[in-house]
Amino acid sequence: MRSMEEAKRKYDEIAIPDELSERVQREIGRMNGRRKILAFRRRVQHGTAAAAAVAVLFTAALNTSTAFAEGAGKLPVIGPVARVLTFRSYETEEDDLKISVEIPTIEMISEDMNGLEQSVNEEILNLCQQYAQEAKTRAEEYRKAFLDTGGTKEEWAAHNIEIRVWYEVKSQTDEYLSLAIMGTENWSSAYSETRYYNFDLKQGKLVTLEDILGEHYREIADESIRSQMEENGGNYWDDFTGITEETPFYLNEAGNPVIVFEKYEIAPGSEGQQEFEINRQKES
Amino acid sequence: MKRDLYDKIADYIVENQNQFYRLAFSYVQNQEDALDAVQNSVCRALEHCGQIRNEEAVKTWFYRILVNESLKILKERKKIAGNSGEMEDLPYEEKGFEIQDDLYSHINRLDAVTQEIIKLRFFEELSLKEIAQITELNLNTVKAKLYRGLKLLKVEIQEVEI
Repeated sequence: MRSMEEAKRKYDEIAIPDELSERVQREIGRMNGRRKILAFRRRVQHGTAAAAAVAVLFTAALNTSTAFAEGAGKLPVIGPVARVLTFRSYETEEDDLKISVEIPTIEMISEDMNGLEQSVNEEILNLCQQYAQEAKTRAEEYRKAFLDTGGTKEEWAAHNIEIRVWYEVKSQTDEYLSLAIMGTENWSSAYSETRYYNFDLKQGKLVTLEDILGEHYREIADESIRSQMEENGGNYWDDFTGITEETPFYLNEAGNPVIVFEKYEIAPGSEGQQEFEINRQKES
Repeated sequence: MKRDLYDKIADYIVENQNQFYRLAFSYVQNQEDALDAVQNSVCRALEHCGQIRNEEAVKTWFYRILVNESLKILKERKKIAGNSGEMEDLPYEEKGFEIQDDLYSHINRLDAVTQEIIKLRFFEELSLKEIAQITELNLNTVKAKLYRGLKLLKVEIQEVEI
C-alpha cells in the first residue's frame, strides 16, 4: 500500500536551508545592478541631445538673468576690449561620481572680431561638454568593471571619483588674451586634456607662433627648447623632433609664448607636463 | 510596464522560494545542488523576463525554468560520474540509507517527464492545465502519462484525486 499523502508529507519535510533566501536575494540584487547599468547606457546615448537643450537654456540665462549679469561684472576684465565670463558652471554628484564643470565664454567689447568670438565660444562649449560627457562614460565603465570584479559600493565611493572641467586666464593685456581650458579625471591622467586659446585683440584673430616669432618660428623655438633642455639637465626622451604649427602654447604676462608638451610627449610621465618659454626677439 | 513586471517576478520568486527549493531538491537530492538550481533559475528568469507576454504565465514559466535547471544539474553530475569511471549508481540508491521502498523515492526513478508531472500535480498541487503549459505537452498526453506513472507506482487511482 503506497500512499501519495505520505509521499507529499515527505516532500514537504524537505528542510529549507537558511542560505536559500540569502542566495535568492543576492541573485535578485545582482540582476538589479545590471539593469541599472543598462538603463544608464541608454541614458548616455541620449545624453548629447540633453546637453544641447541645456546649452540653449544657459544662453538665455546670460541675457535675461540680472543675478548672472551682476556676477559676470565681477569677473576679470581683460584690457578694455574683452572679458572672460563663466558661461556655464554646474556641479553634480550621482552614484559617487562628482562632476564639476566651468565653461568660459569670451565677450568682446569692441565688436570688430568678425564673428571670431562666436565661433570660438561655440568651440569651447562643445569641447567642454564633450569632455565632461566622455569622462562620465569612462567613469561609469570603470565603475562597472570595478563592481563586476568584486569591488563593493563602499570601496567605490572611497575612490572619490571626480571629473573637472575648468579654465584659467593665462594672461591679459590690451593686445592679447590667453586662455587655457582643462579637463581632468582624478583617477587617470591618460585622458587629461588642455586646450589653449590665444587671441589677438587688435586684429581680431587667433594668434599663431608664427605671428609672434616670425617665419622662422620653428627654428627659433626648437633651438631655445634644446638649449633649455640641456641647461636644466632634465630627463627627456632622446628623440625630440621639434615643434610643429600644432604644438600648443600660451602667452605669459611678459608676452612671451610658452610652449607646452603634454605628459609623456617629450619626457617620461613622472616628469609631468613640460613648459618652455621662448623669448620674443626684440627686432621681430 | 516592464519595470512592474520585473518587480512582480522578483516578488513572486521571493514569496515562493521554499517551494522552488523543495522541487529542485526532489530532483538533485542534495542541498548544494538544489541551492544552485534555484539560484540559476532566478538569474535566468530575471534575465529573460522581457520575453513574458502576460503576467499569469509567470508561475508556469518559472516552474519550467526551475525543472530545466534541476535536470541540467543532474545531467552534469552524471557526466562527471561517467568520466571518472564510477558506476552509474544514483546517489539515492546508496547503501547505508534505510531501504527506500516508499512512494517518494520510487517517484524519483520514473522517467523525467512522468516524474515532473507527478511532482507538480501532487506535491506542488498544480492543475493539469498548468502542467501541460509547463511541460509543453498537450493536456491528453499529460493525463496519459500521469495514469501510466501512477500504475507503475502501484498507486490506487481511486485514492488520489486527479
